[in-house]
Amino acid sequence: MNTETLLKSILIVSFGGAFLTYILGKISRVLREIFAVLTGIFVVVFSLMLYGKTGTFIYAKNFLGFSLLVSINNLSWLFLITLSVISFLSVVFSLTYIRGHERTDFYYLMLLLVNAGMAGVVLSADLISFYIFWEIMSWSTFLLISYNRGAALSAGMKYIIMSVVGSAAMMIGIISIYTTYGTLIISEISSQRLSLPPGYILFLFILFSIAFGIKNAFWPFHIWLPPAHSEAPSPFSAVLSGILIKMGTYGFLLIMYVIFGMKVFLELGSSFFSFHNILCWLGAITVVIPTFTALLQYDAKRLLAWHSIGQIGYIIIGISFGTSLSVAGGIFHFINHATFKALLFLTVGAVEYRTGGVRDLNSLGGLIKKMPITFIGALIGALGIIGVPLTNGFVSKWIIYKALILEGNSFLAFAALIGTWGTLLSFYKFLHNIFLGQLSEKYKNIKKAPFCMQFPIIIYSLIIILFGILPGIVLKVINTILISFGFESLNVTIWGIASESGILNTINIFTAIVIVVIAVWIISRLGAKTRLVAQDDNYAAGSYIPKEKYNFTAAFYKPMTRIIGPVLKDIINNFYLILGRGTSAVGNGIRKVYTGDIGYYVIYIILFLAVLILIKVGFKL
Amino acid sequence: MINVTIVKVLEFIFYPFIAFVIGIILMGLFRKIMARIQRRYGPPLLQPLIDIIRFFSQRTVSHGKIFSFGVILALAGSLVVLLFIPFGKICPLCGSGDLLLILYLMLFTPISIALSGGEGANPNISIGVSRKLMLSLGYEVPFLMIILSVMSFYKTTSLVEIIKYQQNYHWAILNFPLVIPGIAYILILPAMMGVRPFDVASAPQEIASGPVVEYGGKFLGLNHIEHAIHMFIGIALFIDLFLGGGPNIGFFLVEMFIVFFIAVFINAMFPRYRVDQAIKYLWRWPSLLAFIGLVLVRIPVKF
Amino acid sequence: MDRGQLSKWFKHPGIMAQKYSLWAVYFCTGCGIIEVPPSITSRWDAERFGVMPAPSPRHANLFMITGYVATKTLKAIIRTYELMPEPKYTVAFGSCPINGGMYWDSYNTIKHIDKYIPIDGWIAGCMPRPEAIFIGVTKLWMMIDKGAATGYKRYRENYEYYRKNQEKLFGKLPWPPLFPIEDKNEKLTV
Repeated sequence: MNTETLLKSILIVSFGGAFLTYILGKISRVLREIFAVLTGIFVVVFSLMLYGKTGTFIYAKNFLGFSLLVSINNLSWLFLITLSVISFLSVVFSLTYIRGHERTDFYYLMLLLVNAGMAGVVLSADLISFYIFWEIMSWSTFLLISYNRGAALSAGMKYIIMSVVGSAAMMIGIISIYTTYGTLIISEISSQRLSLPPGYILFLFILFSIAFGIKNAFWPFHIWLPPAHSEAPSPFSAVLSGILIKMGTYGFLLIMYVIFGMKVFLELGSSFFSFHNILCWLGAITVVIPTFTALLQYDAKRLLAWHSIGQIGYIIIGISFGTSLSVAGGIFHFINHATFKALLFLTVGAVEYRTGGVRDLNSLGGLIKKMPITFIGALIGALGIIGVPLTNGFVSKWIIYKALILEGNSFLAFAALIGTWGTLLSFYKFLHNIFLGQLSEKYKNIKKAPFCMQFPIIIYSLIIILFGILPGIVLKVINTILISFGFESLNVTIWGIASESGILNTINIFTAIVIVVIAVWIISRLGAKTRLVAQDDNYAAGSYIPKEKYNFTAAFYKPMTRIIGPVLKDIINNFYLILGRGTSAVGNGIRKVYTGDIGYYVIYIILFLAVLILIKVGFKL
Repeated sequence: MINVTIVKVLEFIFYPFIAFVIGIILMGLFRKIMARIQRRYGPPLLQPLIDIIRFFSQRTVSHGKIFSFGVILALAGSLVVLLFIPFGKICPLCGSGDLLLILYLMLFTPISIALSGGEGANPNISIGVSRKLMLSLGYEVPFLMIILSVMSFYKTTSLVEIIKYQQNYHWAILNFPLVIPGIAYILILPAMMGVRPFDVASAPQEIASGPVVEYGGKFLGLNHIEHAIHMFIGIALFIDLFLGGGPNIGFFLVEMFIVFFIAVFINAMFPRYRVDQAIKYLWRWPSLLAFIGLVLVRIPVKF
Repeated sequence: MDRGQLSKWFKHPGIMAQKYSLWAVYFCTGCGIIEVPPSITSRWDAERFGVMPAPSPRHANLFMITGYVATKTLKAIIRTYELMPEPKYTVAFGSCPINGGMYWDSYNTIKHIDKYIPIDGWIAGCMPRPEAIFIGVTKLWMMIDKGAATGYKRYRENYEYYRKNQEKLFGKLPWPPLFPIEDKNEKLTV
């Protein structure tokens, strides 16, 4: 199959598969599930077959006077393979998760439509199809966030209002580009090197940043993310946090490095207030503040959602900083964050499924004995997001830190480094309150997670460890992307990056850790034998305390909460609320003009005519 | 070529033993000096070794697989960090990782103890671990700024190069902008080593030793070994970053004992801070000094 | 004190280590605990012999029953004793654990603690002074050397006897038996 057929068939299969699943689902449930999985698998297979190919093809002539194109290059391929794998694994997960809920066919339709929309966004080569697929992706997301009704409705409303504002800004930007460049095809725009006034470029950048920033949810635009991600159904939260917000990153990469080019982007503005520096600092604030806000949460999915915002900060710092190492780190961190955030949301989904919808951290505990594979998945995901060596999160964070330190920008590096410790604290709380501690009597009889849920968890864990030990697999592809942007290439090997000052050699680290663990295990065998006891055979100052009453989960970090709680009030949320209320008040004021009494309307008409006559007479004078 | 490999393999095997012996002597010296300050004789110098042998001969209980494996992983984590820290001229794995890797490998031990303690299912453990993590966050804020100022000053992230620069010129702590982070490091050294006034994580009287309350025989022995190695690592990192790293082992040991005495004397003087008092202190003066140091280091560099 | 004799350390490291690192559970059982803080502080320093207070019974191998044992305290003593890892040694202070002592006719105290917990050594006095405590510890060392401090083995072998006594006193105990008790009724059907 040549490239053109592959590209067009990805679009056809993903869209057609969505509608076919919906229609066939009306007949039987099994058919619907089979077709959903088949659609997912085909998109993954086609994406894999597109590796290394490039090309641009027209797929629709004369749509409102424009021709729409699809294209594939290394950047699109990376995003495409990530989104297809994550969507496919979420579909597999939701086979058991969503069974028995109402309106399941609607769920599958929306899930596959989101998949198709995202595929379209990364494959589109001109701005009209980009916008169309962006919109399809956005509103199907909205419909799926509100799937659970109840509190999810207001969450969805918050999301769609902000998303519509972003799309409107993007539309203005697209029209503006059309009037300047005369064409909407991305490759043609980037090849025309017009020299535009910097104010105009700044205007375009700000418009697109609003659009992509709202989708990407970094610091001033983040308020839609916590309610949306926590109220959505769990497999879809995995897709949301994993890949949907990264569409904003794709947009940023497009405008920064593809459309306008690296030189224009990095020279916009003067030294401290340059655009990329302000983006870096917004990214730094995004790392620190939401990560510590996540410490205060006691709802498992809200904690994960705030961490999504935090990790996006790393990606933004990476891609805005402008050196080849940092952009590599940013793109690699995007892939890594997709894997471990999806893994964590899926484990919370499995726990929710088995305990009947409980995700309150204060009331769970001790589930490690009942759901061991889910615990291992959550553990690897948590280790990945903290950035423990041997996981892929460590490699990407290491690259970003090196880039920041080598350029001498220590304050950004400090903000990035302190995010790790906030992550460590919150994920220990997450793991401890769900899996460790004493098992409550309520959950004595829950079973392990079903195979459909274990399969994605195992696959993600393997990917995290594989990319942690052999990061060169991904770094080679990222290297080609960097060269296409115009950066210098990195010295990448299968086990890491070698540069002049400080290298990373993951194979040596892995071997050293394995040898040391075996040595310590041999030492520990020298000790006397131990026997296994029940959990309630525990030190309780001489008393015997039954299981239920001997667990510590509530107010886990109370002294820290007392210190940082008052500082982390969500002022941005209040700002948006005031903005909303102000708009509503202005609207209410204007509405008073329409009283409904015809006498007033007659007076308005007469007054307006009088003003017109006065203007006409006035000009004559 | 073969000689270098054999030397490296020998270093890989014997460096943990040397560090363990030095750690045991440091722990024994700790108890002896505290006893002498309190006007009594103390236990013999090798008492920690006797304790460890006794621990290994006791038959104790375990609460689960993660409980047993977590202690092993904690000791393994400390040993792996040890292999990356230069000790005089000995440094087995310095060519494979830099200071950032050391920072991140130091996360293995708290996470492993936290996980194994979590399966211990005792609220004392959970409270102890949460206090330990909060205290770690407290001292990490100035510690990261200190490390960043050293790395920015020497424009490298590799510990071997930092030591090389210091031995060619002079110690980092005698360098003008770096003396302020050096003082900040001395201020947070008790927190990093877990001695009073910052030993709230393993408070024997309050939470029955916190994370180690359910560890019995061999687990407690492994934990003691890890404590010994952790003491070694804590002081060795300070000496490598600020006191020149020692051109040979003897000089390194002398510097180590001097820094250790400072920590013991502070431990003897102070009572214990609560967690929020400790965090407020750590985020106030040491952080301020480290921040000033970071700003001063960066002034010649363009923002 | 043969702590310095290296050959003994190489021949029996376990026994030597158990002698010279006796950590006592810091459980204040009765009125005798008033004599323990002086013996671990500066004047009569017990740490030079390796005796240290341990906050958790899981770390300890010496259990000092200091003074009278009330019935409520006995439950905590049994629980703490069962939490300790083997090998462990118990020493009873004063005359109350031996035969009731001053409270020989009280409804609330235990007169013969040996029925519920195995005791390795007894120290006479009401309360024994720190010097008597040190002599007791020295005698315990000699017993450990000879292999005569076998209280924990007695507990394991005669666990049924101890458990029966405990249950006669307290009724049904909320914690399960420490060692498996074979069911006598099964043997009869042969």
